[in-house]
Amino acid sequence: MASAPASLRAQPTEQAVKAAFIPKFARYVEWPAAAMPGPRQPLVLCVIGRDPFGQLLDRAASSETIGGRSVTLRRLPSADGGEGCHFAFVQGATGADTTRYLLALRNQPILTITDGRAGPQRGMIHFTISSGRVRFFIDEATAAQRGLVISSRLLALALGVRQRRS
Amino acid sequence: MTKKHFAVLLLVSTASIHGPAIANAQESMFESEQDLSGLSIEELAQIPVRSASKREEPLSHVPTAMFVITGDEIAASAANSVPEALRLAPNLQVQQVDARQYAISARGFNGIETSNKLLVLLDGRSVYSPLASTVFWELHNRPVEDIAQIEIISGPGGTLYGPNAVNGVVNLITRDARDTVGGLVRATAGNRERTLAARYGAPIGENGALRVYGQYYDREGLPGGAGPDTNDRFRGWQAGFRSDFDGGPSHFTIQGDVFDSDTGRLNGDGDRGHNLLARWTTQRSEASAIRVQAYYDHIERNFLLVHDSLQTFDLETQFNLTAGVHEIVAGGGIRTTRDEFINNLNNFQLVPPSRRLWVYNAFVQDRIGLTPELSLILGIKAEQTSFTGVELLPNVRAAWHPNPETLLWAAVSRAVRTPSRIDRQLAALPLLAAADAFASEKLIAFEAGYRGQPTLRTSLTVSVFYNLYEDIRTTEFIGNPLPIQLRNGLEGHSYGIEAWSSTQFASWWRLSLGLTTLWKSFEMAPGRTDLAGFASLGRDPDYQLLARSHMILNDRLHLNAGLRWVGELEPQPGIASYVEADARLSYRMSDQIEFYVAGQNLLHRRHLESADTVRGQAAQRSLYAGTRLRF
Repeated sequence: MASAPASLRAQPTEQAVKAAFIPKFARYVEWPAAAMPGPRQPLVLCVIGRDPFGQLLDRAASSETIGGRSVTLRRLPSADGGEGCHFAFVQGATGADTTRYLLALRNQPILTITDGRAGPQRGMIHFTISSGRVRFFIDEATAAQRGLVISSRLLALALGVRQRRS
Repeated sequence: MTKKHFAVLLLVSTASIHGPAIANAQESMFESEQDLSGLSIEELAQIPVRSASKREEPLSHVPTAMFVITGDEIAASAANSVPEALRLAPNLQVQQVDARQYAISARGFNGIETSNKLLVLLDGRSVYSPLASTVFWELHNRPVEDIAQIEIISGPGGTLYGPNAVNGVVNLITRDARDTVGGLVRATAGNRERTLAARYGAPIGENGALRVYGQYYDREGLPGGAGPDTNDRFRGWQAGFRSDFDGGPSHFTIQGDVFDSDTGRLNGDGDRGHNLLARWTTQRSEASAIRVQAYYDHIERNFLLVHDSLQTFDLETQFNLTAGVHEIVAGGGIRTTRDEFINNLNNFQLVPPSRRLWVYNAFVQDRIGLTPELSLILGIKAEQTSFTGVELLPNVRAAWHPNPETLLWAAVSRAVRTPSRIDRQLAALPLLAAADAFASEKLIAFEAGYRGQPTLRTSLTVSVFYNLYEDIRTTEFIGNPLPIQLRNGLEGHSYGIEAWSSTQFASWWRLSLGLTTLWKSFEMAPGRTDLAGFASLGRDPDYQLLARSHMILNDRLHLNAGLRWVGELEPQPGIASYVEADARLSYRMSDQIEFYVAGQNLLHRRHLESADTVRGQAAQRSLYAGTRLRF
């Protein structure tokens, strides 16, 4: 009874599931035309601040192809240089740092992703754990302000959606 | 399930969320399974995960009858207290006795005097009373918002949890302090109760956090029920803290609570206490881990003219080791209690009135992976108390995963309830003689179960049990005719089914159903009598049905509603079967502000749950409004 690990081996870690989710989010987001890379140019996924994923995210990103585009992973110590990102996982060393990075990206058409484990500061997609599953909240209102359109398929999976005013 | 959590440490470093280095280590450990890139987002959202925090992992693979109530489910329900939250568990039977007290049991023996076979742990601290073999639920009033989850095992947990985990274990786990950074204020007011709770959490350094909390509650007394009307108004407060630090492979937790309450019967009546717990876990390598935990607990209860106090020191340690197909967990512990029981109400006295008791234990359990799908678990615990010799608590379990969605399991276990101070040393001569020979009550349990996901949207658990009991407590003449004495004269069996399911019909609607049934058959051992008329078997309904619906009406409006149908309690004086409902409608104005209205026992103005003819009051309809503010 105590030792579930034998079977738990079959279960991935929280981090592995989050890392698998992140590159896939790009499939369900439309960027404004001006922000889209040229044909066959990669989509840029950034990890801003701390990187809790390591190789897990490299591997997930490298196996993703979205509309003929690959996903390139960039790690940035802060939001400086963030304007080149299409989507970004944002996690500061402290909650205040996370807030600072999110604010710095405020005017860019960048899909921001945060993790509830790191604090209550929320990007457009905010991971949480519910009933032992990795789930997320979506802030569709903020995404819409930056010109991002999130597909209903992704919205349907969210635990909660802050809807845009239409 | 503290120990299971610890077992998981073997495979997941607590530090995994903090550094690529650890993520790399994980990667190599899980190389074969970590390729999730082929899955759809819908599939990813359905995958149970091993949580880095060890607090929210799925229990879909644990070969035991376990139900988990998550903190989110409690926060969405009308429950304002731990006993009310436990009504969400289909494998528990909850009786409200009066405004303060509850009787809670699994697999029978329920009643305020008789529910002595359920072990309760709050963050690893046992709150099972060695005085009376019960749980004084009224001593534990923490804000429900701090609860990460409550795991409820029905069935014996003797090998890992020790004696008194005969018919079940309730394991309440509060949130990691790192998950409660920020402020929360909750206030509720209604016809039955008013509450006010506040907590604040702040980070400490990069990998630590501290939260402090306080809660005040004021409950109106209930009208008389099976017993005469008593003055059971209940008010009090509890405050405390929890701090967690996660440094590389080690995790350190320190936490404590202090509380004080008034019962309103006599001046000075009420309960108070405090506790302090520290726990350190460290992963020495991918294959081995160590946990050490120590706590101090002090409680004091004053009621009518009775004074009762208890001081507990507990130290326990646990090792996990993985070697080949073996996953071994072993450990030991020592606990000492010093109690005092002074009764100025009548001549029932504990002899001696104050005593120090010792409990020692050691255990080992091995989970052997016979094949990737089939594992065998062999475990044994040896425990010695001041009242008994060495009790052996073995269990054998088999778990079979024909596919990842399905677990089939079977188990045979032995569990005992060790004698309490009252069992052994309560005397009131010439009426009642102390029972120096009172032995442990014993159980051999046969169990089997299924847990799985028959469809993508449905999870289902079904368990069956057959329990063989002996040496259950009786009250017998030993003189001519007096005095009487507590003895071990009852034996018998019980069997039943426990089943529950949860279906996510749509992203906005989840429906959960639960059913438990119980049949009991007991008789006197040859040549024995029971003056108490089988009172120690308690009063249990033959069946209990639960249904709960959670609806996200829109992103601001959530509706949670539950129905419970509880069978009658026999024999005389009987308590009729009843159907009751609770509901909570919440409006989330923003991420920071939530307003809600809620009600419990909505279908009747009053109904009876407890058959106790001294204390049992009538449960009443309760309506309240509340708010939660986060900042």
